[in-house]
Amino acid sequence: MRYIERFAKKVHFKRVVLFTLFFAVASVAVAQTTFTAQAPRVVEVGETFRLVFTSNGEPSSFNPPSITGLDVLAGPTSSTMSSTKIINGKRTESFQVSYTYILQANKEGKYKIPSASVVIDGKNYSSSVVNIEVVKTDSDKSKESNEKGSATVTNQDIFMKISISKGRVVTGEHFIATIKLYTRVPVAGFEDVRFPSFNGFWSQEIETPQNIDFIRENVNGQIYNSALLKKYLLLPQQSGSITIDAAELVCQVQIRANNSASRSIFDDFFDSYQTLRKRVYSSPVTVKVDPLPSGAPSSFNGAVGTFKMSGKLSKDSVNANEALSLIIDIHGAGNINLIEAPKPEIPASFELYDTKITDSSNKGAGGASGSKKFEYPLIARAPGEYSILPVLFTYYDIAKKEYVTLSTNEFKIKVGDATGVNSSSSGLPLGVNQQAVRSIADDIRYIHSGRPLFKRGNVFLFGSQIYFVILALIFVFYLLLEKFLSKRVQRNRDVAGVRSRKANKIARVRLKSAGQLLNEGLYSAFYEELHRAVLGYISDKLNLSLSDLSRDKIEELLISRGVKEENIAQLLSLIEQCEYARYAPDLGGDNMDKNYSKALDLISSMEL
Amino acid sequence: MCSKINKQIVVFTIGLFLLFSPTVLMGQDNVEVRGEKERWSSANSLYAQGNYSGALDEYLLLEKQGYISWPLYYNIANSYFKTQNYGRSILYYQRALKLNPSGNDIRVNLNYAKQFTVDKIDEVPEFILVTWIRDFNYLLSSDYWTIISIVFSILVALLLLNFRYGPSARVRKVSFFLSMLSLLFVIVSTIFAWNQRSAFHREDSAIVMNAVATIRNSPDNSGATLFILHEGAKLEIIEELGGWKRIELTDGRQGWIATEDIEII
Repeated sequence: MRYIERFAKKVHFKRVVLFTLFFAVASVAVAQTTFTAQAPRVVEVGETFRLVFTSNGEPSSFNPPSITGLDVLAGPTSSTMSSTKIINGKRTESFQVSYTYILQANKEGKYKIPSASVVIDGKNYSSSVVNIEVVKTDSDKSKESNEKGSATVTNQDIFMKISISKGRVVTGEHFIATIKLYTRVPVAGFEDVRFPSFNGFWSQEIETPQNIDFIRENVNGQIYNSALLKKYLLLPQQSGSITIDAAELVCQVQIRANNSASRSIFDDFFDSYQTLRKRVYSSPVTVKVDPLPSGAPSSFNGAVGTFKMSGKLSKDSVNANEALSLIIDIHGAGNINLIEAPKPEIPASFELYDTKITDSSNKGAGGASGSKKFEYPLIARAPGEYSILPVLFTYYDIAKKEYVTLSTNEFKIKVGDATGVNSSSSGLPLGVNQQAVRSIADDIRYIHSGRPLFKRGNVFLFGSQIYFVILALIFVFYLLLEKFLSKRVQRNRDVAGVRSRKANKIARVRLKSAGQLLNEGLYSAFYEELHRAVLGYISDKLNLSLSDLSRDKIEELLISRGVKEENIAQLLSLIEQCEYARYAPDLGGDNMDKNYSKALDLISSMEL
Repeated sequence: MCSKINKQIVVFTIGLFLLFSPTVLMGQDNVEVRGEKERWSSANSLYAQGNYSGALDEYLLLEKQGYISWPLYYNIANSYFKTQNYGRSILYYQRALKLNPSGNDIRVNLNYAKQFTVDKIDEVPEFILVTWIRDFNYLLSSDYWTIISIVFSILVALLLLNFRYGPSARVRKVSFFLSMLSLLFVIVSTIFAWNQRSAFHREDSAIVMNAVATIRNSPDNSGATLFILHEGAKLEIIEELGGWKRIELTDGRQGWIATEDIEII
């Protein structure tokens, strides 16, 4: 163990020297004077160790610290180191002065070495306070391992640990996972390093040391050299108990070959080491992730932390076809790198191009913080005054345990007429740029909101009772009309019947006019009218033309129709008198009355 | 005297026919129940508020009461669509379309809802004339075609009478041609009305209701699986045997499907 420790110390010292050298060079390059103190953080009782104050300038005086509780075995011894490098013609110089103390601790406890100070170029520089923890010597263990010669490395000697900053988080809340290697044996190198995949998390390495530096650390009273391997910023993406699986690596552990059988004289002078491959696992860690409470506003898209938002337009008045941009700036701490661009409602007469996202957040031990800028490039296409509704952004506040919605102001844009640059440059009349009407979203059409006719049962008119009733009615009315019309036609066809039926009527009309003539005392006209009435009556009744009417024929036909002899004789005498009177002069007034009444009697009495 | 009365009756009835609007004709077995209007409007307002499942329950209650109307089916279908039940939504769009084949909104929404179904079945292209005739048929609903046929049959009757008893030869000639033309209209409109009615009553097409339905080559569970249909697919029913139906797709493939997997339109 002693050898091992010595070796470890040697390695450590070498690293310190290298590091300080490198540091000195770097600091000269940037021309900054530094003064630092270095000592192991943890030492054992009785162990001798170094305390080194380093300066990269030439101090004119050194004011040593007052060291209490620790024995100063030697020091301060100063050493000076300077180097000049010319690389590609570039000359760099480095200069270093160090003051070294050799100290020993006698008692357990925590010791504080106050700051030392130097004066360089008239300026006073002081180092930081150094804390040193002194722990009890693990005598049993070192003895045991000494006796055994320890060709094995136990899990106590070297182990790996994943520590998380929070054990219980909500979805999207950040925490830090640190993977550290603890060793009490010298490690020459690593192989086959496997870090956890962090399933269920969004992960980002926030600190990955270039060199693996071992720092002494007190773990349960034991001194270990610990090295930070990786540091991750984790953001849970799902809820529930999520296990971070184990990290593993193979360490090339150097142990001293302790082969007593083949012990030669050289072995006393040269330590012979053998490299042992030791696979080291960390134990898996479980994180409890609570889901976010329900009732998130629609503008929430997973932001957790505390944020502020501001928004502005690059210009608030433009001409048509000119570009402007809406800039939304979200800053704060939380899962800022996972924040999605809020969706502003841009009026349709603007063309919206791809959002430019500038993420200027930095991820540190305190989670991601900084700002994220969303730039929405817009091109105004039509003149007018427009307003963009306030942009909403919702995050979940871990401290307040509630959703907080931020809102920008309403943006007003004035778009003027397009300037004539395009038309004049092209020399062609600038036509209207026709575009197809874009469908923004697609959905079913709205419900029918008017009152419908609610029906039950047979919904069709066709084939229903009423349909057949109507058809039957049409048919029946057709038949009735048909019958009625055909009867009328039949009757119209019977000309003689019509004549005979109309005879009485016509005769009466003529007699009436004859009666008028009688009253006026127009002798021949009266007889003419009377004659016509009687003859017309006869010809209508017997269906004969006037030219066919002769005395004999009338007599014959009337007899055949069964008219009384007496009536026939009267009729014939009346006709005779009328014919006579038409061509003869007036004989006396009383005959006219007599003949008129005779004609009336005859027409009404003769039943034909 | 008798003929005069006849004439009056004829004039009166013709006047009645011409005056009667289709709604009055259709309203004959219209049972208006108080509460149904309120239920309809409350369902509509629930839908407007975005409570689609609540609106759906109300609409379905109306349907359960025996009301049949295309807006009811259309709204049920819309509610089913909004609650992501695409199969039922398609079923009710098809039912609404059966009642109102000329409904443009129904057709648009049906085509939209079809995009959410899995199966894409190629349709055998139809003879263009058949499509035209069907489109013409479905320009008007069956009831309107019926009314047209009735009006034209009255016209046929009057023109025939005019042909037989018209005052002059010219009038008679014109009446004859017009009556024959009207008769043609009567025949066509009657066929259209009948066609729509029989298409409605024909229970020959169905929609797959199960998420996945297996089509077998025999009407039992041991039959080889021919193909698989998903919710919302439309098929024609050819025959029925036990709990199985023989179906045909629009692309001509046939098979047997369990009756419980489908719902007849």
